[in-house]
Amino acid sequence: MDARLRRVNKEIADCKNDKTSNIRIDLVDSSPFHLKGSFPGPEDTPYQGGLFEVDIVIPESYPFQPVKMKFITKVYHPNVSSASGAICLDILKDAWSPVLTLKSTLISLQSLLCSPEPNDPQDAEVAKHYTTSKRSFEETAIYWTKTYATPRKAEEETKDDGRDEVAIAGLERAHVDQFEALGFPRAKVVSGPSFFPVEVMTVVSAHQIDVLRRLNYRGANVAQINDDRIVEELLK
Amino acid sequence: MSSDYEYSDEEADDVFDDDDMGMQDEDSDGDDGMELDDFKVPTKSTRKAYELDYDSLSQTAVEKLMEQDVEHIRGIFGVDASTAGLLLRHMSWNKERLIEKYMDNANKMLVAAGVAVPEPEPQRPSRRPSRKPKSPAKSETFVCSICFDDAPDLTPLALDCGHAACAGCWSAYITSKIRDEAEHACRCMAEGCALVAPDAFVRAQIDDETYTRFEELLVRHFVSCESHLKFCPYPSCTNTVSCPAAASKMSLTTVVPIVSCGARGIASTSGSMTQSQELVKQTTGKEHKFCFGCIIDSDHRPVVCGVALLWLKKCRDDSETANWIKSNTKECPKCMSTIEKNGGCNHMTCKKCKHEFCWVCMGPWSEHGTAWYSCNRYDEKGGVDARDSQSKSRASLERYLHYYNRWANHEQSAKLALDLFAKTEKKMEEMQITSTLTWIEVQFMKKAVEELDKCRMTLKWTYAMAYYLAKGNQKDLFEDNQRDLERAVEDLAELLESPIEPENIPTLRQKVTDKTVYVQKRNEIVLEDTADGFLEGRWTWNVAVDGFDSPEEAAT
Repeated sequence: MDARLRRVNKEIADCKNDKTSNIRIDLVDSSPFHLKGSFPGPEDTPYQGGLFEVDIVIPESYPFQPVKMKFITKVYHPNVSSASGAICLDILKDAWSPVLTLKSTLISLQSLLCSPEPNDPQDAEVAKHYTTSKRSFEETAIYWTKTYATPRKAEEETKDDGRDEVAIAGLERAHVDQFEALGFPRAKVVSGPSFFPVEVMTVVSAHQIDVLRRLNYRGANVAQINDDRIVEELLK
Repeated sequence: MSSDYEYSDEEADDVFDDDDMGMQDEDSDGDDGMELDDFKVPTKSTRKAYELDYDSLSQTAVEKLMEQDVEHIRGIFGVDASTAGLLLRHMSWNKERLIEKYMDNANKMLVAAGVAVPEPEPQRPSRRPSRKPKSPAKSETFVCSICFDDAPDLTPLALDCGHAACAGCWSAYITSKIRDEAEHACRCMAEGCALVAPDAFVRAQIDDETYTRFEELLVRHFVSCESHLKFCPYPSCTNTVSCPAAASKMSLTTVVPIVSCGARGIASTSGSMTQSQELVKQTTGKEHKFCFGCIIDSDHRPVVCGVALLWLKKCRDDSETANWIKSNTKECPKCMSTIEKNGGCNHMTCKKCKHEFCWVCMGPWSEHGTAWYSCNRYDEKGGVDARDSQSKSRASLERYLHYYNRWANHEQSAKLALDLFAKTEKKMEEMQITSTLTWIEVQFMKKAVEELDKCRMTLKWTYAMAYYLAKGNQKDLFEDNQRDLERAVEDLAELLESPIEPENIPTLRQKVTDKTVYVQKRNEIVLEDTADGFLEGRWTWNVAVDGFDSPEEAAT
């Protein structure tokens, strides 16, 4: 039997048999080389209570080349792209070793959620948020976990539009209201990052949250950015 | 060092083996140097201002240089050749630093180079894969921890660290490292184990073809570490050129280090070459000419690298490929390799020179410890800059097109030279039949075509140079020379295209020969004068060029 197939099959079986680690690996389609991993968010972190799904693609030369992984679930974390789910982790790149397994890699991802590395960021804006105000960052991460990583019941699904796009961007409502009061319509004031689902975009459309998020209008930074700068950006 | 450059016998043989066209005898420019045993004897007694000394080395010759370094280190440290090799590779062949560091702390150095296992092993338990509770005792059947095979005939293999895997996995691992990643240092497969597989171990695991690739990677690594060496950029050529005169960046403002690797094309493996391939081989495959100082793999005399690169970059600005490259790749700030970022984070490590930098601001990563967020602002500013430069370039578009059209015209003509070459060959045959001229006497046609090709190359680049030359008398003189050469070249081209009547072959021959000599002279004047100008620092530019005074200063 093909060594790669044997190894992947064994890894999947191992993971099934191991009830203690809470790591799951499932097939996406009939191929054993495209998988979906999932693990619970680690305790005592903003990710607690969430279930995080990871897209796994096993390359031709596995296990001698690293497995390709990215988050399917949206995660608010300095080392994970908030747009694409791409992950910045050394073992998925140069530090890969053939003795690492799918399970151990997923465990590494889990521990990455415990210990963000903002000095080596994948998502610079999130990392900026993290270093500016850890507390505010955590609130946003918790909100993302609740919004994206928590399995919801059917009737709640319909309330999608109720998502607080201000909280998703990690901003304070008071700040958004402040600029709304300056005469910028909420549609202009409150705009989601471009990856928001279309139905949210139509409600929220464009600009202000985007501007405030980009300027990192949070924590101590609020005092440093003067209003003119923001108004200028909003008018662009 | 100087006496190190000797040519092995194989090298000389290769040259003659490849030289099977029988028509290159008179074209011995690059050859003279090849047969000299001692490179201290100047290649030519009268070296022209636009030429410089260099040496072509075969892979075997470079391997000899490597061996000498290894021997040297072996003698000093008293270690075996394999260890000395690994140490040198780890230190990028910088012997002085290696000796210094090794004397300081030999053990630390050995561990860093992946030769020795670190002595204290506090992390011992974690080094074993957690899923395997204990490594199986010798008596039990061995299960490879990589592929989970447990066949009874499986042989466990391990480096000094004892992390065992089956031979098949080792072979697949090392082959993938060498072939897919072009990596010559194959570390142990265990997580976090930094031991590097010694050459003998690598040799034992892989097939001949992969091992050849491995040896080439070692040579390439060595060559890239030595500033006076450069690997021939031609596909599947494994020669190296040594050119100490152009080793420093500073020298590139005064010389144009065009060199040839000494290979006369790659010997054809089958007789089934198409006619056009034959032609390519005859006209361009004779010598691998490239620039030692920059990435241009052809002759860009008379213009210096900095200006030539500026020009090429400008010319490529419009093309679709360039747009793609521009939007998807950047150059490593250290070694200038083009890098495509196809995933992952902004922390980049250049595969070639291992330089670590930030994809956004291109600054070294080491400075990003806490200040990485300055990268975010870069985009806005960069965007403004880009827009600015775009509007400026539109304003000067007309001027640019003037030079570009002429540049492109010569390039096009040079490409058509292949056709011209074929036509000329036919004419040469015709002449032998219709007149009393012998084979050797019709060679004037071929010489003329070759000269034409060379001159077109020169002319092409003079337009790049003229585009960037600052206005003034110097530029006028330069353009005068350029015009004279161009006129001579076009005259000669017209002569060559003219139909052949048997009765006027002798006059044609006379005319062509005269013109060829004249063109050759004009070409030399342009090349010499420009090269002298660089040495004297006579040329000034209308843009900032690396290594030259800025245009404003020069103007005052």
